[in-house]
Amino acid sequence: MSTTAKQALVLAVGGLVILLFILRLARRRLLTTRYALGWLGVGVLIAAAAVLMPFVGRLGRLANMTPTAVLLTISSVLLLAITVQLSISVSQLQERLRTTAEAHALLARRLEELEQRDR
Amino acid sequence: MTVEPAGTSDLGTSGVLVVVPAYNERECIAAVVADVRAAGHDCLVIDDGSADETAAIARAAGARVVRLPINLGVGGALRTGFRYASDHGYHTVVQVDADGQHPTAAIDALVQELQARDLDMVVGSRFLQPSGYQLSRSRRAAIALLARVIASAGDTRMTDPTSGFRAIRSPLLDVLAHDFPHHYLGDTFEALLVATRRGYRIGEMPVTMRPRQGGQPSAGHYASFRAMVRACTVLLTGTSFDLPPRRVDAGASR
Repeated sequence: MSTTAKQALVLAVGGLVILLFILRLARRRLLTTRYALGWLGVGVLIAAAAVLMPFVGRLGRLANMTPTAVLLTISSVLLLAITVQLSISVSQLQERLRTTAEAHALLARRLEELEQRDR
Repeated sequence: MTVEPAGTSDLGTSGVLVVVPAYNERECIAAVVADVRAAGHDCLVIDDGSADETAAIARAAGARVVRLPINLGVGGALRTGFRYASDHGYHTVVQVDADGQHPTAAIDALVQELQARDLDMVVGSRFLQPSGYQLSRSRRAAIALLARVIASAGDTRMTDPTSGFRAIRSPLLDVLAHDFPHHYLGDTFEALLVATRRGYRIGEMPVTMRPRQGGQPSAGHYASFRAMVRACTVLLTGTSFDLPPRRVDAGASR
């Protein structure tokens, strides 16, 4: 078995495992579709890379890189994109949490005022 | 977030609300609240998720207390206070530290300065008059840098941009309370910068501050370093990315 074929096999298995894992997480509602989509994309791309190994090789020769380097580069960019998406989500959640905490505190205070008035 | 205005029935005669953000300040809070109440002002203590009895002590001392369920930092506590003031029809907020450093006797002077000079915000400055206030060289350089940045954003000249002893009145008060839907009113510096950029009139008046009256400072060296890093981030990324458009007529409409 050639090196390329071995690589393709590892990629195919890896991509499949990721796909199944993400689907399982999504089905158990540990992942919402919004985040599942990104990771499913990663799994599909990895599996696709296995099928497209000859193409990856050609791409590598074009850029003067080994096929492995091409795959690593693509996966780094993908992971970076997902990390940035997560950072954006966390920032939004933080702001929402703050706003909610403020509203909660003000409402608790109003309730207190109303209770005192009724007494 | 919308909290329906709770009516203006419990509004004090002065229309001035003194907001005191407090985080684990059980040793100082009672004296600060008592001072503010003695001066005849409504006092709102924002308990910023304290683990100690700050809220109960403040309540016993005669303050209204809003308890944040989690610690949000000074910015979050202040915005909560501004929202409370705005919802309850106060026209002016004076923000005072809970550690007793700020001269509560000068609250009236700050409010009068707002009206006398037709300003939107007055900052009590430690450095406007020589007072022998001790400051490390790095802190001094940091303050000078922040002052220069604010000066470049509009015609606000500051000697003490990190002072937390400030009086703010409507409409700037309402803007700070409600018009920051995504971007967070992080600290003193950001509020000054944003207000200046939006064309609000900000002035200073000299005050003499006291040393901390007890308890532990929440802002150590590490915290002030972080504040500087934050300020630099603000400079690099800009705070205006999701601000509503500036209201040019805000100052002129009065």
